[in-house]
Amino acid sequence: MSARLARDWELNRLRLLYAAMLAAFALLIAQLWRLQVAQGARYERNLARQSIRRVRLPGPRGAMLDRNGQPLAENRPSFSVTLYLGELRLSKPRRVSLADHVLQVVRRLSERLELPSELTERDIRRHIQQQLPLPLTAWRDLSEESLARVAERLAGEPGVDLDVSAVRVYPQAGLACHALGYVGRAEPAEDAEAFHFQLPEWTGRAGLEKVYDSALRGSAGGQLLRVDVAGFRRDVLDEQPVRPGYDLRLALDTDVQRLAERALDGVQGACVVLDPNTGDVLALASAPGYDLNAFVPAIPRALWQTLMDDPARPLLHRAVAGVYPPGSTFKPVTALAALQSGEFTARQEISCPGYFLLGRARFGCWQTQGHGTVDMLRGIRYSCNVIFFRAGLACGHEAIADMARRAGLGAPTGIDLDQDSAGLIPDDAWKRAAQREGWRDGDTCNMAIGQGAVLATPLQMAMLAATLAAEGTVRRPRLVTGLRAPAAAVFQDIPPVIVRRLDVAPEHLRLVREGMRDVVMAEDGTGRKLRVPGVTLAGKTGTAEYGAKGSGLKRGWMIAFGPYEAPRYAVAMVVEEAVSGGSTVAPRLQQLMQGLFPAAPAPGGRG
Amino acid sequence: MNLRAGRYWIGRLDWIMALTTAALVAVGVAFIFSAGWRGPDEPGGDFYRKQLFWAGLGALVFIGAAVSDYRRIGAQAIWIYLLALAGLVLVLAVGREMYGARRWIRLFGVNIQPSEFAKLATVLATARYLSLPDTDPRRFATMIWSGLITGGAFLLIVVEPDLGTAMTLLPTLWVLWLVAGVPPRTLALIVLSGVLLMPVAWLGMGEYQRERVRVFLDAERDPQGAGWNKIQSAIAVGSGGFAGKGYLKGTQNVLGFLPRTVAPTDFIFSVIAEEKGFTGSLTLLGLFAVWLGGGIRAAARARDKFGQLLAAGLTTLLFAHVFVNIAMTIGLLPITGLPLPLISYGGSFMLTTMLALGLMQSVYVRRHTAD
Repeated sequence: MSARLARDWELNRLRLLYAAMLAAFALLIAQLWRLQVAQGARYERNLARQSIRRVRLPGPRGAMLDRNGQPLAENRPSFSVTLYLGELRLSKPRRVSLADHVLQVVRRLSERLELPSELTERDIRRHIQQQLPLPLTAWRDLSEESLARVAERLAGEPGVDLDVSAVRVYPQAGLACHALGYVGRAEPAEDAEAFHFQLPEWTGRAGLEKVYDSALRGSAGGQLLRVDVAGFRRDVLDEQPVRPGYDLRLALDTDVQRLAERALDGVQGACVVLDPNTGDVLALASAPGYDLNAFVPAIPRALWQTLMDDPARPLLHRAVAGVYPPGSTFKPVTALAALQSGEFTARQEISCPGYFLLGRARFGCWQTQGHGTVDMLRGIRYSCNVIFFRAGLACGHEAIADMARRAGLGAPTGIDLDQDSAGLIPDDAWKRAAQREGWRDGDTCNMAIGQGAVLATPLQMAMLAATLAAEGTVRRPRLVTGLRAPAAAVFQDIPPVIVRRLDVAPEHLRLVREGMRDVVMAEDGTGRKLRVPGVTLAGKTGTAEYGAKGSGLKRGWMIAFGPYEAPRYAVAMVVEEAVSGGSTVAPRLQQLMQGLFPAAPAPGGRG
Repeated sequence: MNLRAGRYWIGRLDWIMALTTAALVAVGVAFIFSAGWRGPDEPGGDFYRKQLFWAGLGALVFIGAAVSDYRRIGAQAIWIYLLALAGLVLVLAVGREMYGARRWIRLFGVNIQPSEFAKLATVLATARYLSLPDTDPRRFATMIWSGLITGGAFLLIVVEPDLGTAMTLLPTLWVLWLVAGVPPRTLALIVLSGVLLMPVAWLGMGEYQRERVRVFLDAERDPQGAGWNKIQSAIAVGSGGFAGKGYLKGTQNVLGFLPRTVAPTDFIFSVIAEEKGFTGSLTLLGLFAVWLGGGIRAAARARDKFGQLLAAGLTTLLFAHVFVNIAMTIGLLPITGLPLPLISYGGSFMLTTMLALGLMQSVYVRRHTAD
């Protein structure tokens, strides 16, 4: 090998070495291309999965206002002391677990704020395990006094903050509780899987809260959090603001509702006040009731059990879900059916000996000595059973059932509430199905006086009163008259709905209305105890036996409307354990009427 | 050194290598700052300031070594080597144990890593031996002796244990043999036997080293433990994408997925790759390629055998660090605690790198010139 060749090999060896190094770099570049360019998106997803968290924030529920704008359900600000664990961690001494450190901080704050600790060690550990990036609430819903202390003594404390959230509140406590309904913790939303954390959300469980849940419930917003390796929240990447729900304007009138509930004081029953000109439900009362605020944020199990076990059944919404035999308050229906059929006329007079014989069966009049000679007008005033047996048999049960259905009985009223009960207007088919025998004339007699199988809810009977008040126009009762979009100034009106017209000749309707006026206004009317000076009222009392025959258990009823000339109110009231409609219900209803017509001076202690 | 000698020296310095060195140091300081960054209101650690200090000290070491005649240093190679071995023995006896290994000696309030200096001393001594006039590279005894010189330091570093650092000596020895003139057939045989010996090496490894290899082969095996850094580093590098997220915009270190202890040191490349993307990685590798080219240039133009061996050996040593560090960061090699020259945070390593560069420049300045 020549010297030159040797020198070349020496140099070539170094070139080879450098080439080998560059080849090794090429290998690195190939791998970098694979990671950063070919699979870059995959690693970006991995990055997001480990450091991005989605949080769902519920929107605040809309409010419910009465027809005069008085709030019945709304949100109030609730202040809580919350701990930001990511910041607390910074002051944590070594060798102390985060849970222990948080517990110590809570104890220290507890002394300083003079508030007993609401958090247990288990709560803290669970929060750390499951909801680390979210703030931990240490004291919720501070009283005004505590709030002042917190503001004064907590300033500048790292990792501790005052948070405000919206809490449902019912300013009138138990007023219209059955109609308003209550809320409960919602099931996780359908798109819940897209979220890592969900703050508790509320959903309507009963009443308007339930029926209008989709309007009331705001739309949820979200937060995109970045968390660090330990799971602590680092920053908020993105935020989708929550949208509050719609506000509802109710037909209810707080004052009327309060009168209705006061009229039911101490008894089990229901009372409904409608505006016959619109179908607006001015009051929808069911007694006994309960305090809605006990359901916020969650009803205690013990209280729930008490409500469930109470024999008075406070959770039952008697006004719409309670079905009772309407008794004599049904008689206007029979009267209209008979008169309209032409089989019984206004002039027809019958004699009431105190009973009515149908074959061998004896059907009694409530007045055992009899009413003597009565026509339809007086029959209504005295609530004479015998004339209605005769009238009912004259027109037949189908005509009665037909009239009843057209007045809105025997079917759900269509009110915007759950539990809208149909009641029952029996007919041939029903009897065959339920009792395996055909219709008999005896059944017609019972039906004619609102007994037997006839069942109606207080709301249906109020509807009947409203229909009679409105000259035969049947309107759908409604609770919500308007919706207001979040941040909007005015309510969008919901127009009232006319279901149908009763289709009765005006003179027949007039006769029934006059009869009902006499019930209240005549000295010998069965409902004279309703009278309020200064206003002409019309009404009809009813008393229906229930339970075993002769047990003496009676439901007392009264329906009424007024002023007679231009009715503004139509009312129905039932009391579950009554002596009679005229003696038990009329005085209570009179109390209500007195409130509705305050211009009239008080009747000097005599009814 | 008088003024004329100074001007001569400055004129003959490899400025390309000097400038790429400065550029790499600047990149290192910038991304050590980024690795410590936690946000505008949370000033990062002061590692970058310390690194600036070490870089300044390193520059002095660089100039000192470049000015000194490498041949006079080479004459003392045996003593320097023995001193380095003494340091390695000392660290085993009184060294501080950190992360399960004895690698550091505390001296004047600074943690010193004797193995860093030992690597240089070993290359120096091995190159010196191979360049002795009566050393015949074709004789087997030559390989035994040079193997013993490197092997002594290798073993002392392995038992620390610091397998990663020790392993960089093996390709260096091989390259020294190559440059010394060991016949190509023998060199090929050595590579072959090295591959065949790998299973034996497995048996000789400590459990933590084996675990690292297992994790390398299957990172999902223990994602929260040993595999963590590997996975998080891959996520950092991969999520950087083509263009990167931008300086100070990387999240893997800020959120702590890339542990704060390793982000500015062994895994600094992940931080760079996440923030600067594929283009940044490529630029950095290009910079390193130019930089290493300077070392090869020094070897090619060395005026004597010792200078050539020294420059080639040191270049290989630095190359091994660059390659292994980046390869482990991007999942091509098992995780070993090997820093990235001039970029990773660390004083001892900055100084030894600068010393190695200075020695190469000492060779280059005194290069053989035809004219």
